Amino acid sequence: MATTAAARPRYRGGSYKARSTTSRALLYGLVFVVALWLIGPFIWLFVTSVSYQRNLLARPLPFVPPEITLQNYRMILGLVRFHAEGQAAKILPSMLNTLIVASVVTFVNLVVGTTAGYAYARFRFPLKTFSLFALLFTRMLPTIVLIPAFFVMFRALGLQNTLAGLVVAYCSFTLPFTVWIMKAYFETVPADLDKSALVDGCNRFQAYYRIVLPVSGPGLVAGGAFTFMLCWNEFVVAQVLNTKPGTTTLPPVIAAMNGQVNVDYSVIAASGFLGALPAVLLVLMFQKYMVQGLTAGSVKG
Amino acid sequence: MSLEIPTPLTVPRLRLRAVRLSEASFARLLVAPAVLAIVAVVAVPLAYSLWLSFTDVNLLRTNGAAIELFGMRLPLYRWVGLKNYLQVFSDPLYWDSLWRTLYFVGAFVIEATLVGLGVALVLNERFPGRPLMRSLLLVPWSLSRIVVGLLWIGILDFEFGAFNGYMQRLGLLTGSIAFFKDGFSALNVLVSVYTWNQAPFATLLFLAGMQSISEDLYAAAEVDGAGYWQRFRYVTLPALRPILFLVLVLCTVNAFLMLDLIYILTMGGPANETTTISWLGFQTSFAFFKFGPGTAILYTLTGLCLLVTFIYHRLILARFEPEG
Repeated sequence: MATTAAARPRYRGGSYKARSTTSRALLYGLVFVVALWLIGPFIWLFVTSVSYQRNLLARPLPFVPPEITLQNYRMILGLVRFHAEGQAAKILPSMLNTLIVASVVTFVNLVVGTTAGYAYARFRFPLKTFSLFALLFTRMLPTIVLIPAFFVMFRALGLQNTLAGLVVAYCSFTLPFTVWIMKAYFETVPADLDKSALVDGCNRFQAYYRIVLPVSGPGLVAGGAFTFMLCWNEFVVAQVLNTKPGTTTLPPVIAAMNGQVNVDYSVIAASGFLGALPAVLLVLMFQKYMVQGLTAGSVKG
Repeated sequence: MSLEIPTPLTVPRLRLRAVRLSEASFARLLVAPAVLAIVAVVAVPLAYSLWLSFTDVNLLRTNGAAIELFGMRLPLYRWVGLKNYLQVFSDPLYWDSLWRTLYFVGAFVIEATLVGLGVALVLNERFPGRPLMRSLLLVPWSLSRIVVGLLWIGILDFEFGAFNGYMQRLGLLTGSIAFFKDGFSALNVLVSVYTWNQAPFATLLFLAGMQSISEDLYAAAEVDGAGYWQRFRYVTLPALRPILFLVLVLCTVNAFLMLDLIYILTMGGPANETTTISWLGFQTSFAFFKFGPGTAILYTLTGLCLLVTFIYHRLILARFEPEG
């Protein structure tokens, strides 16, 4: 037993036996590698965003950046004039567009998707199984196949190059998810809660609205934060449907900057980091609820 | 369950409302907005796209047949039957892209599942800082794929990439590696970058599954003399089977659809060597505005996704999980 342990380091899920030194060293080594892989690239994005391009080009690359600067952020926030300020000036307005679209879609999803999720979790009604299957089907559906139709229809409806059009298009991939996540969440809320509310004189809607919804904060946060994140990060739909300057969201603007030959990578990195920050902070803030909501929604689906 | 509920007759205090809906009609009322919205933003565009794939769409045309509704004008394009599909299937680029897509999907599914499972095994151990590590899991996953591509450019670029720079600093490399110069290498970079973005979610699912496994099973296996790998093989893996199925399906479908990373990293190049079906459909539709063949390509992609989901379902779930 001792020889095999020495030859093949062992570590285990339970911790009721102390680990050997070798297995502990192996575990910490693996943890370090995983941490480096997970967060290293994002940290490097930040490092490049506070560096000058000339220092990134140095070969061999110094381990500690020789200079730190906020110049790239000043450029994209429009505080300094530089040769690509036309590109950089689009960052903040497009961030505002993204914020508007993501907030409206999240609101719509929470109102519409939550009520549907509640009904799916609680009641039996005709075509329930069929519509649940249809919902699963839409989750497996590529959004991109819908975009040509949106393109032609939005042109006819005057929704092309509008934020309202993006809201409509984004609901196509967020709403089925929200219904599913909320259904999974309401299944964890005891049904006795609404039943006792009915006994106490609420009607069915009041039981949902006044009794169940107020204790469903974690589920709402999970569904809402996930929807917001999807919209904040979406690229293809916005890129295709909103081509007029000033009407699009942040990811297409960053992608367009990346295509410019005369813009330094460090400036693009700054806009990428700034653009990524809201979604990352949101997810980290609500991680507990999101992980619960998403794993429950996925595993049951 | 519902039988245990006191009926209004047993509860005299109950105030009867003016409108009392039956359970089914109340449920229908709650579901209606979502169902109508999903029909409007998913089913209708889906059907219209299907229709477009059988027509000679011309976006420049402003006259001709059209549906006029409330002052809006939805052009009706001419039905051309299977012409778009035949045109797509006779294009060698389509078949090249299809084989490349299958390679991409296969490589990604294997890499993302193995990495996701491996990371979950590490994070399931006890060590100081484990909650922090689990938070960090969410970082790659919560980034826009545009930013994901961007930050990997910062690492892999030939001129200013950190990888080449640090490898030279450590003396492990004399020149610089051009990751995107060769098509096959670029395709594999796409697989790995997409894995970085997606595997953390697989890890979350695996971790959730591992936490639901009873500690007693491990203790019993250990008493029976099972080593780490035996416990993994005979306790962990069987319990994770439904989640493994889910991860495989999600990874496969996501890999078929991956588009934004190609946009930011390779644009399908060099020389179409990273062009997958989704990229080909995207380019045909929105770079060349050939909506007919474009939607035809995208519809074959949709068919592939659904086929794969169906096959997995039959193969894995039906055979091993009769109760699930």
